[in-house]
Amino acid sequence: MIRALCCTFLLALPLRAQHLLVPMDDAQANHLKSYGIAFGALTDGVRSEWLLNYRGGSFLLPDLPGLRRAALLAGVSVEPVDEAGLGAIRREIADGNMDAVPLDKAPRIAVYTPPQSMPWDDAVTLALTYAGIPYTAIWDDDVLATDLSQFDWIHLHHEDFTGQQHKLFLGFRDAPWFVQARERDLGTARRHGLPDIPTLKKTVADRLRGFVERGGFLFAMCGATETIELAIAGKDVDIAGPATDGTPMDPDGDSRLAWARSFAIEGARLEFGGSVNAMSDIDGHQVNVPSRRQPLGTFTLFGFSAKFDPVATMLVQNHRAVLRDFYGVTTSFTRRTLKPGVTVLAHEEGAPWVKYIHGSLGRGSFTFLGGHDPEDPQHSIGAPPTDLALFPNSPGYRLILNNVLFPAARKRPLKT
Amino acid sequence: MRTALGALCALACVAAPLPAQRPVDPMPALISRALDHENAGRYREAALAWQAVIAAGSVMPGVYGLERVYAMTGDEEALLPLLDSLIPHHPRDGQLRAAQLRTLVAAGRNEDADAAFRTWRSLRDDDPAPYRDYARVLLFHNRAAAADSVLGEATSRLGSSRAFLLEAAQMRAALGRWPEAAEAWREMMREQPYYESAAVFSLGPAPADARDRVRTELVAGDAPIGARQALAFLELGWGQPRAAWRVLAGLPPTDTTVAVWRAFADEAEQQQAWPSVRDALVAVHAARRQPAVAERGAMAALRANDPATALTLARVARRSGEDVRAELLGIELDALARMGQGAEAERVLANAESAIGANGTRGFARTIAWAWIRAGNVEKARAALADAPLDADDAVAGWLALYEGDLATARRALRFGETNSSDAVQALALLTRTRAERSVEIGNAFLALAAGDSVAASDRFVRAASSVEDAASLLLTMAARLETARGADARALPLWTRVAESYATAPEAPEARLEWARALRRGGDLRGARGQLEHLILTYPTSALVPQARRELDALPAVRAESSS
Repeated sequence: MIRALCCTFLLALPLRAQHLLVPMDDAQANHLKSYGIAFGALTDGVRSEWLLNYRGGSFLLPDLPGLRRAALLAGVSVEPVDEAGLGAIRREIADGNMDAVPLDKAPRIAVYTPPQSMPWDDAVTLALTYAGIPYTAIWDDDVLATDLSQFDWIHLHHEDFTGQQHKLFLGFRDAPWFVQARERDLGTARRHGLPDIPTLKKTVADRLRGFVERGGFLFAMCGATETIELAIAGKDVDIAGPATDGTPMDPDGDSRLAWARSFAIEGARLEFGGSVNAMSDIDGHQVNVPSRRQPLGTFTLFGFSAKFDPVATMLVQNHRAVLRDFYGVTTSFTRRTLKPGVTVLAHEEGAPWVKYIHGSLGRGSFTFLGGHDPEDPQHSIGAPPTDLALFPNSPGYRLILNNVLFPAARKRPLKT
Repeated sequence: MRTALGALCALACVAAPLPAQRPVDPMPALISRALDHENAGRYREAALAWQAVIAAGSVMPGVYGLERVYAMTGDEEALLPLLDSLIPHHPRDGQLRAAQLRTLVAAGRNEDADAAFRTWRSLRDDDPAPYRDYARVLLFHNRAAAADSVLGEATSRLGSSRAFLLEAAQMRAALGRWPEAAEAWREMMREQPYYESAAVFSLGPAPADARDRVRTELVAGDAPIGARQALAFLELGWGQPRAAWRVLAGLPPTDTTVAVWRAFADEAEQQQAWPSVRDALVAVHAARRQPAVAERGAMAALRANDPATALTLARVARRSGEDVRAELLGIELDALARMGQGAEAERVLANAESAIGANGTRGFARTIAWAWIRAGNVEKARAALADAPLDADDAVAGWLALYEGDLATARRALRFGETNSSDAVQALALLTRTRAERSVEIGNAFLALAAGDSVAASDRFVRAASSVEDAASLLLTMAARLETARGADARALPLWTRVAESYATAPEAPEARLEWARALRRGGDLRGARGQLEHLILTYPTSALVPQARRELDALPAVRAESSS
């Protein structure tokens, strides 16, 4: 109640407080736009702090008129905090499993997204646009021909890096959008002197791997997670069926996959059935194979030590610990196929799969989140995009935006 | 869908064994056991049971059962050895051949499917079945381009494409070749008009920029009535009910046409497209002269805000009927009231008095009063109520007082009155807001509003604002709303501006800012619109309009993806 009054009368306060707290617990009216406020402050050169595990992962900003105005316009709840109040907050943080992480610099964001609109939405571009966070759209030509180090963060969504277009030829081979996408990719392959789409996509996947290895941060969702792993491990193996490249899959493909090169997965088995709409046994849910499809449950975010594992802690900041699961062409990752060093951020209790993982490769890191759209659990091809104005407090979309802000955190040596 | 199709086939097969086979015992117990296993999801047991059905001689039910079961377990190809063993015994059996094609295509064995199709085709040169079944299978698997090739080959080998019109229509729609699809559907319905629903389902997804060509093709030349009906229903689905009726309006009134008009009226009624319902029923009535149709048309006309047609149809229906019915009389009087024909309404009611009695007559007194109010004659309205005195708090009495400028009486009488019209809501808001006892300008404004003269009402509300100061911002807002509603932004904008700037603390100020922003946006001034929306959010943070303002702010050009190339 007191918090609500503070928010309501914020503009009426004659004197500015020294700080503004953006609460991220249930007192927050618009969690998703809160990330946009924090990001906008960084873009303007205003330093802020991410108070990990403090009231759902709140942000602490300086009390500037521009920030108050931006928060009010966006419908983001803020609470003025004076020095005494801040002292109390810092004491509470020091005493508990919490930490304050400085946010220094707005990350430069790229989203790997096709120039041609596809008949499905992209949760990340939806979240970025709604939160008001700018990004650069890149596609195959950009990945192959430009210096990716200009970006701090690259997002991948729904692409099939095995070059098989998620086997959608099974149901959509003559759909105009499918034909157009195939022709576009073939044209790109020819421009770069590559023989077919699988080779093009594997080359793109390898470039993205190099981006991470040199210190970049990669976030992938849905089918991009599974297929980039297969594409990288299968760089020198024919893992695409004849419908894509005219030649059968290498029958010894499973044994020839080079898992040492992949991000998080090892020992997965390829799907050899031409009519089976699955890529491998990485995904635990197999939504497009009726006889194997597993029902949706809920997944639980792990709690980490904020002081010792700040990175993992940042990625799971939320006002909910248990979230409703959602399908994608890759919904989850079977535990059996995870590399030992991978950090599991969220899992389904008792299930042989996990939902959300993080790890490092070279000087960079990656995060994979299974599923397509956190607020549309069974999003289908042709369905309209989710209107995030209807879900301003979406815990699932918060996971995406945690990843957007995570590269802004000042790098500190990990304590574990 | 595939499973459903299989289930239908299986049922048909149980009912009618293969013509080429000797009649066999369908072994209902065996089949029943297999279905039970299948329905319970015990697919391994179901497969064994269906194999037993086949072994017992009932071939096609067993094949269809196995096809469904294997589809559920992802073992589609397991059916192929069985089919390979059965087909040599029934080489011309189209059902087995079609099952083989379905299985091969579902398994992605496209070359084998082509070979199986060629083998079947070679059995008889003039048989369209192989082409038709293979094209259907390909279409079902969204391989419209491959289906196109098969149909093209069929046309060249058989010398005509007429046997494949249905498949061609579906194939072309799946390929997005909308005009050609429309042409095929039109020709299809020339011989089989009952396919109009399938045509609507197939052509409905045509994008907006392809619809004109679809329209042209569907009704080209002497198009069959089924094609016209399909286009009319498509237009309804595309949100063009007036265009929908125009497709059917000029047809000669045969029995078939009248049936189509009735079906159209039913469909348009579902969508509450009242002008089109009215027109369809008027046409039906002109052709068949049925009182029930006239009455239904009169009601549709009233809902379409067309009291003149409602009056005509109601009178036709009444003249045809034996007795005066209160429902029909009500429609007629309502139509007259809306047209402001108080004298005529009184005459009609007087003529009906012998049939409906004095009590019935008094029941319509309020309608008569409304008729006079619509005519702007408050005295006559009061006179109409003379034999049906109203309670002091009757809403009609309140309205009469309001029209006469007696705000105090109106305030008392309308306090518990009906509030389901926008006029009523506005009146109550105003009466609650002001403490003024009397205002002739306000009465005249509401009277103009009741008479449908929104320009005069707007002017009078503005004039009233200068004398009724404690409700000035509301009166100006009411005038501005009227101007905005009729699209007169040039007149509305100064009013919204005046409310927003001169009455910044009034309850109407946020609404004025929002409407000001909308008017600027409609005029292309996006920067100005953004400024007004931000002003609203920042100045009135607790207003109920703030969420809407935020939404409209988000909808203005904001963060955009930039190309890196």
